[in-house]
Amino acid sequence: MAVQMNSSSDNAAVTMEQLCKWYGSFQVLHNVDLSVAVGERIVVCGPSGSGKSTLVRCINQLETHEKGRLIVNGVELYKGMRGLAELRRDVGMVFQQFNLFPHLTVLDNCTLALVRARKLPRDQAEEIAMENLKKVRIPEQAHKFPTQLSGGQQQRVAIARALCMKPKLMLFDEPTSALDPEMIKEVLDVMTELARDGMTMICVTHEMGFAREVADRIIFMDSGRIIEQAAPSKFFKNPEHPRAQQFLGQMLH
Amino acid sequence: MNFNFSFAIEIVPRVLEGIGNTVMIAIISFIGAAALGLFWELLRRSHATIRPVIQFVIDAIRSTPALVQIYFLFFVLPYYGLTLPALLVGSFGLSFYYSGYMSEVFKAGIDAVPAGQSEAAQSLGLSWADMIRFVILPQMLRNVAAPLGAYSISILKSTPLLAVISVPELLGSALDVASDTYRYAEPMFDVGVLFLAMSLVAVAGITQLERRLGLTAPSH
Amino acid sequence: MSFFAILRSIYEGFGITAAVATLGLFFAIPFAVIAGVLQHFATGPLRWIVTAIIEFWRSSSVIVLLYAFYYTLPAFGIFLSGITVGAMVLGFNIGGYGSQSVRAALQSLNKGQREAGLALGLSRFDVLRLIELPQAITAMFPTFINQAIQLIKGTTLVSLIALTDMTFRAKQISELGYNPVGIYSALALSYLILCYPVTIFGRKVERRFATRKAR
Repeated sequence: MAVQMNSSSDNAAVTMEQLCKWYGSFQVLHNVDLSVAVGERIVVCGPSGSGKSTLVRCINQLETHEKGRLIVNGVELYKGMRGLAELRRDVGMVFQQFNLFPHLTVLDNCTLALVRARKLPRDQAEEIAMENLKKVRIPEQAHKFPTQLSGGQQQRVAIARALCMKPKLMLFDEPTSALDPEMIKEVLDVMTELARDGMTMICVTHEMGFAREVADRIIFMDSGRIIEQAAPSKFFKNPEHPRAQQFLGQMLH
Repeated sequence: MNFNFSFAIEIVPRVLEGIGNTVMIAIISFIGAAALGLFWELLRRSHATIRPVIQFVIDAIRSTPALVQIYFLFFVLPYYGLTLPALLVGSFGLSFYYSGYMSEVFKAGIDAVPAGQSEAAQSLGLSWADMIRFVILPQMLRNVAAPLGAYSISILKSTPLLAVISVPELLGSALDVASDTYRYAEPMFDVGVLFLAMSLVAVAGITQLERRLGLTAPSH
Repeated sequence: MSFFAILRSIYEGFGITAAVATLGLFFAIPFAVIAGVLQHFATGPLRWIVTAIIEFWRSSSVIVLLYAFYYTLPAFGIFLSGITVGAMVLGFNIGGYGSQSVRAALQSLNKGQREAGLALGLSRFDVLRLIELPQAITAMFPTFINQAIQLIKGTTLVSLIALTDMTFRAKQISELGYNPVGIYSALALSYLILCYPVTIFGRKVERRFATRKAR
């Protein structure tokens, strides 16, 4: 059953209809229906192995779905399609393990795709890069290599790198899970700011404080299905599904 | 085209006359190289003072070509009155050359056994000999098995170097056929195919052996 | 002949040794990169073919290959100079080993690197060219140095197909008068001078890489 939300398909950033995916014979996504409006901030949560990472990774086709429809920024995506690279430029992604390019400086990490994919001249690309590094509050690290930075700084660079492409939509796949506790806040602060600026965001995260403060809607997944979705106020106060109650019970204690 | 396939097949038995020597050289050289390599490595570990000396010897062995080392032994030993069969001199040359590499294999193999292993063995009250025999050595052998296997194949592929000092191994007998018949293309083609086949069979055999012994530890 | 005179005389062969080694690199490096990348990506029959070509060059005995190509190619109507045959055989042999280092380095890269590149909207080829290969090639640098030493040492074999490299010069000198100790010590020393610094450099680089990886 498709869940009705306050978004028509005209201003949807992402639309999923009956999306299914298997790893071999194991089904990771079961008939997922989801619509994300432009400007909407979604937090996806659920126990590990629930398919939340896979769901997000389908949106820029790092994982391909086998059944159902997936429309991102107005274009339907399918396995083996052409022009995927161009579409990905409009979808920013932040990974759990940062995945900065260790052989490039912070600045070059940010300019690489601008120069090679967007074909901008170098000086213009650097200008954009510096702007975004300022936004994540580490312009002074621009000429260092990623390994010289702390985890929190690396993740902020990764966010800046994604923002440089001026994406219409940002995906976060557990962006703070690999960080030491004292670094989590600096990354969440940047993400919160981004949300205030009106960025469309889909975040897989266990940071319930962030979810409560920033999300328009919480999506709760279990065993490859979306089993509950609600505004944070409702979700945290009285979740309907027993699995969600159990999950929240574990998370909040 | 001037290549005669039926001639190439006809001379195979004559070329194959050298195969016994090839196998013998490979076995002698492998054992010699492993023994000498282990010797270098134990010597290198024995004393801090001789460590740099042994290190230089190992690096020097690795920095000169096998062919030059074989020539050296073959021509210099008789000068000092030591005349040995060419097959033995050549095998010793290969042993010497590969001992440099073997020493590095043993070094890595020993280094890879965690220090905690000997500490645990000692805290259990094992004697030094028992610790080496039952704890360190089995783990070291597991570490060195794969690279030693790889070097055994390198050694096999280096045995034709001994043809230059007139040892009648495979390449040597092929060269004999060539000088008898004044045709070089076919014997050289034969020996090329033979060595490729031998090396592929050896690779398959060693992979099987390692699998059977459960020794497929990752090489370093 | 004094030891120094022998050394100088051997040195006359240095040009050929250097030429074969340098030309050999021109065969080895492109072969290693192309074959390694193809083996990493190809599937089905193409992968089978690439693997067969790599295995041919890697699994054969170099000295036998050298004889075989030098004597057999003309019989098939292909006439190449000794230097070309020598450089090609030595280069492709080392390149065959190198291809395995390239492939291993590509395989050991974290797949997050590829995903991050793709997520930024780079083409698959750009991801390979700008992100994966630079890191793979840096990672295999110590191996590359070791293989370069193997190539230099391998050039001695061209003396067997009558190229006047350093080893061939030593053989020529040995015909002038009986002095095996002087001549072969000088020959060994010549290669030692050439390769020892590279060996030491390689060891240093290897150690640096090992500590960097451990960090």
